Amino acid sequence: MGFSPRQAPVFLAAIFAPSILLVGLFIVYPVVNSVGLAFTDASPLSSGRSFVGLENFVYLLEDGEFWEVLWNTVFIVGAATIIATACGYGLATLLISGIRAAAIFRAAIFQVWVVPWIVIAILWGWLFSQDYGLVNYLLMQVGLIETPVKWMFDQKASQWAIISGYAWRAIPFIMVICLAALQGIPSELVESAAIDGASFLQRQRYVILPLMQNIIMVAALLQAVRFFQEMTMIFVLTQGGPINATMVLSLYTYKTAFEDWDFGLASAIGTVWLILLMAFALLYVRVALRRNLA
Amino acid sequence: MNAEALRTGSKPLPRRRSEVVYRLSRLATSISLHALVVASLAILLLPIVWMLSTSFKPLADVFSYPPQFIPRNPTVESYTTQFTGLLGRYFLNSVIVGLLSAILATGAGALAAYGLSRYRLPGRNAILMFFMASLAFPIPLLMISMYLMFVQLGLLNTYIGLVIGHTVITLPVCVWLLKNFFDQLPVEVEEAAFVDGASRAYTLFRIVLPMARPALGASAIFVFVTSWNELLFGLTFVSSTSMRPLPAGISMSFLTEFEGAWSEMMALSVMVSLPIFLLFTVFQRTFMSGVTAGAVKG
Repeated sequence: MGFSPRQAPVFLAAIFAPSILLVGLFIVYPVVNSVGLAFTDASPLSSGRSFVGLENFVYLLEDGEFWEVLWNTVFIVGAATIIATACGYGLATLLISGIRAAAIFRAAIFQVWVVPWIVIAILWGWLFSQDYGLVNYLLMQVGLIETPVKWMFDQKASQWAIISGYAWRAIPFIMVICLAALQGIPSELVESAAIDGASFLQRQRYVILPLMQNIIMVAALLQAVRFFQEMTMIFVLTQGGPINATMVLSLYTYKTAFEDWDFGLASAIGTVWLILLMAFALLYVRVALRRNLA
Repeated sequence: MNAEALRTGSKPLPRRRSEVVYRLSRLATSISLHALVVASLAILLLPIVWMLSTSFKPLADVFSYPPQFIPRNPTVESYTTQFTGLLGRYFLNSVIVGLLSAILATGAGALAAYGLSRYRLPGRNAILMFFMASLAFPIPLLMISMYLMFVQLGLLNTYIGLVIGHTVITLPVCVWLLKNFFDQLPVEVEEAAFVDGASRAYTLFRIVLPMARPALGASAIFVFVTSWNELLFGLTFVSSTSMRPLPAGISMSFLTEFEGAWSEMMALSVMVSLPIFLLFTVFQRTFMSGVTAGAVKG
């Protein structure tokens, strides 16, 4: 269906012009140009730039720091995505289980999604403050720890402080998507399973989860993509420290480019990042296709 | 029905002896479910409650032990005294950049989305896939070349530079969102307009876009919120203090100035969150209403 483009070439050119201009000038050109810069020693501090071949890439792959950053990114983004998805799905299941005032609960939880990242960064600094922070106080009250944790000065602890912030912020998004999908499951399916004697867990495992699998995957992936880009919390709280424990790809590229002013190396990092993304996308499409065929 | 079945299971009719047990277990399940929801809600909202609570405390009470959840000596001092003209300027910058980005991204996105939805274009799916994929592009990689361009064009330290940055990272979502909306809009409305002799531009601007108001609103709010959140462009494309949007301005000037002054920092946090909170609260209903009603009336 739809109109033939031949009927209105001028009209079509006019309505596509703004976005073609924006995308061409400020997405396609910068990406292509930056990938080109990765093979140079470009820097805004020096006027000339020369071709250095694969030097930046060789440096990067031989440098232990890059692999460390890559692993940190995968760990922080992965852990936050898994936690947010599990909690978001769990909450959606709870809210649909016939409790009273579910709409009010949903609206209240949704408020978390409204909090800007810069606010989360400041707020987490206060919550995880070593001496007066609420988190240390509560953990000590419950008896999980005996002395206050130095959240921002311990490598593992700082990673978990960041992960908790990421996960907290993403829970409402996952919850809203899961809730919508859960409401779309025909009630006859679940009821007939119940009549056949399936317990709550069995219904989850054999009826609901298989139906939800795809939508959960999509929601988690979207969230992971956003986490990859996000760096406000880390920039404000730790600057990537202590000893690079919270240094993630986005902050690492940013710092290399705009603090060290090494555009060549930063472009190389960004290019590797882009290649990894494409590899992952190809892999994902393959797996998804195979599953659909099976 | 669904929910009922999920909670209790439709067991065969209980015999009289076990009916009491059955009812009791149902009640217990219900109570524990409610308790679970309330507990999760308490944990999730604790950071927000703590932020509000701290913001209304005088400095002496901020560090009290055990912590006070309800301020014993509430004061609004932190909201009024500390932040001077600079904060107002950051707010203004963020509002201007957010509004302009919302208009540009939603406008350009709506036009392209309409074309993609209504015309049999070659490579239509490839274009949509590209838009989706571009969401994952490393933003710092884009920024390196954009920075060099903006130096040449003299767009550093301007609203235009920031608006362009915020527009290109949100445009793909706008196109997707609006295309989905146009796909659901009945094409008969436009065909009727064409039969009546309306031009394509007239039909788009006077008939289709007014019907798309809720979707346009959703798209604009998405862009504004993303822009409000965005730190990177504000850090790199702006070097003069007075041109910084909120996140960049706060992280460059207030963080060190107010280090340890948690009631002020929390008051600041509340103020920065408030516009987004209001935006969502006020426009939640507008989204839902009149999506199809508009088509019938028009």
